[in-house]
Amino acid sequence: MSELWKAFLRAVELIVNLDPEVTGITWRSLHISATSTILASLICVPLGGMIHFRSFSGKRGLISIIQTFYSLPTVCVGLLVFVLFSRVGPLGRFGILFTPTVMVIGQMILITPILLGLTISALSGVDRTIKDSTLSLGATELQAIWAIIKEARFAVWAAVVMGFGRAVSEVGCAMMVGGNIRGFTRMLTTAISLETQKGELELALALGIILISLALVINVIVNTIQQRY
Amino acid sequence: MGSKIKKVLSVGLILVLISTLMASSAKEAVAQGDVSTPKKVPLLPKMERLRVATTTSLYDTGLWSYLEPMFEQKYGVELDIVYAGTGIALQYGKRGDVDVLTIHDRVREDKFIREGYGVNRRCIAYNYFLIAGPESDPAGIKGMLPEDAFKRLMEEGKKNPEKAKFISRGDNSGTHAKEKAIWLKAGYEYESVQKSGSWYVEAGRGMGPTLLMASEMQTYTLTDKGTFLAYKGNLKLIPLVEKGKILLNVYAALAVNPEKHPKVNVKMANNLINFLISDEVQRLIGEYGVETYGMQLFTPCGGGKCKEIGCPTWEECAKPAEWPIK
Amino acid sequence: MFLIEVEDLYQRYGSKEVLKGLTLSIEKGEVFALIGPTGAGKSTLLRLLDQLENPVSGKIHFAGKDVSNSPKLRLERRRKMAMVFQKPVVFNASVYDNIAYPLKIRGYKRKSIFKKVSKMLEMVALKGYQKRNARTLSGGETQRVALARAMVTEPEVLLLDEPTANLDPLSVNLIEEIILRFNYEQGTTIVMATHNMSQGQRLANRISVLMEGELIQVDRSSKIFNTPGDIKVAKFVGVENILKGMIISSEDGVVRINVNEQIIEGISHRQAAEEVYVCIRPEEITLSLLRPSISARNSFPGEISLVAFSGPLVKIKLRCPFPLVALITKKSAEEMELEAGKRVYVSFKATAIHIIGLK
Repeated sequence: MSELWKAFLRAVELIVNLDPEVTGITWRSLHISATSTILASLICVPLGGMIHFRSFSGKRGLISIIQTFYSLPTVCVGLLVFVLFSRVGPLGRFGILFTPTVMVIGQMILITPILLGLTISALSGVDRTIKDSTLSLGATELQAIWAIIKEARFAVWAAVVMGFGRAVSEVGCAMMVGGNIRGFTRMLTTAISLETQKGELELALALGIILISLALVINVIVNTIQQRY
Repeated sequence: MGSKIKKVLSVGLILVLISTLMASSAKEAVAQGDVSTPKKVPLLPKMERLRVATTTSLYDTGLWSYLEPMFEQKYGVELDIVYAGTGIALQYGKRGDVDVLTIHDRVREDKFIREGYGVNRRCIAYNYFLIAGPESDPAGIKGMLPEDAFKRLMEEGKKNPEKAKFISRGDNSGTHAKEKAIWLKAGYEYESVQKSGSWYVEAGRGMGPTLLMASEMQTYTLTDKGTFLAYKGNLKLIPLVEKGKILLNVYAALAVNPEKHPKVNVKMANNLINFLISDEVQRLIGEYGVETYGMQLFTPCGGGKCKEIGCPTWEECAKPAEWPIK
Repeated sequence: MFLIEVEDLYQRYGSKEVLKGLTLSIEKGEVFALIGPTGAGKSTLLRLLDQLENPVSGKIHFAGKDVSNSPKLRLERRRKMAMVFQKPVVFNASVYDNIAYPLKIRGYKRKSIFKKVSKMLEMVALKGYQKRNARTLSGGETQRVALARAMVTEPEVLLLDEPTANLDPLSVNLIEEIILRFNYEQGTTIVMATHNMSQGQRLANRISVLMEGELIQVDRSSKIFNTPGDIKVAKFVGVENILKGMIISSEDGVVRINVNEQIIEGISHRQAAEEVYVCIRPEEITLSLLRPSISARNSFPGEISLVAFSGPLVKIKLRCPFPLVALITKKSAEEMELEAGKRVYVSFKATAIHIIGLK
């Protein structure tokens, strides 16, 4: 118990003193995860809308597959992205391995199933008559999809927040494709992993507390914006 | 909130995020030391980068953190140091994902060069492996030769798997390769060792973490002296077997062959290699840790010491690395 | 001038045939009702008209044009129509935003949206409700918002799918008034599905009866009501007395029919020896305690088996010996002290009988 308390104090100390390396990795965590979540949402929410809206053969199968990938292990995604972007890999000429850019890509791939699947779930909760109403009022397909998304906005928003949560808390992918390079690709989660392995448990716990606090602050901000809307 | 305002805000937010992401690809230069002793160096614009895959023992001892800022300042580049076991470091080298390797497995390094993946190998430093274990030494291996110690560990381990355990790196690192070599000398096929019982534990982690694990579980393990000294304060282990030619541990740096991977930053790679074998840095390596730990963690190859380890003259090793090789 | 022409329309859901070869025409500016029991295919027909679905075969022409081949034309056509569904459904937004929606998606400017929406709010008696969240309204209010939303673009055709099905009588009244106003003031063609016969009578110029996906009869409402062309229609429109009999004689348009050994006289040009159904509306049956005078041709003694009060009216079930149902005012029932077991005289005019041939 005293170890946890010491860790908590250490966390407060690091935050209050604005320890530069810790602020650096905190900012990096936030930045990379927020970017990947926003970019992935921009793709997945409309895409989820379209999948939900149209009927086509194999739709249920597709949704099943999407839901299966909820449990995609982060190391697997990391491995896949590594093999793709390694210099000898098909996308190697971009040379973005071991950079924050490839970490964003990795996280986007990781959270796409959740964003897609939960968006489709959210939209399925909207009364079918809304779809008919919007169409009969003269909406084009895109306008109708947008109207349905707006109707389900709380649930869709929850999906995005969930996606962010998964992105900001994952280690496997970030480690594999980022290399945990100090000052460059080290994030809160990979730093925690490293410090743990090095035996610096107190510091690792402190970083963990900071990570959770970060997530808490994000959620509070997000919720406040949501209320006003 | 008007919907137009909302749209503008969201687009703005996205642009801000993406642009700062690109800007932050320029690494924040961080001074030496670990997290607890930070020193902020001003943020530099996007710079040339050099990627180094290093064996874990060079990293866990803090040697790289010590040398990194020196090199960066001197050449104005960003050094990206990727922590990897020798196994994965060689993979990175083969794939051209890094520019330089600093590892410690002569056999595999030679193979790497022979197959055309690496060039300009230079010895940097050396130390010795040792077998560490609990103070009580339940298997009684103190003072033995490494091969004999391993034989004894195998016997005792099989008899008393709870009392006499051995933790292996189990990760294809240079240290792991050395361990396998000792088993071979002791007369065992490695596969049979792996299957010999619960006394033999494969950790799959770097040197520092493995030492911590061994200390926690009070077991034996093979480690290089540098990392052992660096972690000694945290360990409840003592060195038990320190003598034996087989325990020689030589660290070398090599550049990835630009013929295989033209995009490799071979010029700067050579700069790094030459930096590491320069007289000044060799001296610094020799002095590293003496104040803190009371003795050298690494013995530099320069200064005539390589004769001790059976190398040819230093002059040959000290030949500057260049590309193309004339 | 026929605005909408439906030609041989077939629709199927899975293995179930929902519309079987439907053909009908709707005039511009009329109020056209689709009547039928649940599951008859009324909603399906409306959805097909609104281009929400595609039929398996058959054509729909609007103003002479068949739009099924071009998505662009379909969208254009759909934008000239509007539909209100049975379940009042509104967006989770303010009343104003709901009604403004069709204008927004068509790109109208803010000022003109404001004008139109305000006008609509007045027409549906929801003035002052702009800022309220549409989901907090009662059923009747919600349906009025849906109507306003549908009508704000001044469509040519308004499709209504049982719009008052689950509402209280006051709301029903209000909405019916609104619908008639739209039709009257803006000349909107209205196609309305309902299972409420009297609503159809109140509002529609013409009624079509749909049963099990087939069009049974299309006529002016009065005719359907009084002279249903089919047993199924008769049952549906509330003809509760349908008796099977055989025409014994036919002379000068007067027929005598044998029903359960009783002779009933009616008006028809059918011939003798034809098996027919005799339909009598319950309201056309008079009851008396004494044998009536000659004016009613059909007069029988009968015994009351059940007296059921239904609001201001009373339903009397009788055995004559064929079963009959009569509907009389409560006052009359009380005056005659009608009760089960009492014997009375049952009479109805020959002109009140509607004869349908066996199919």
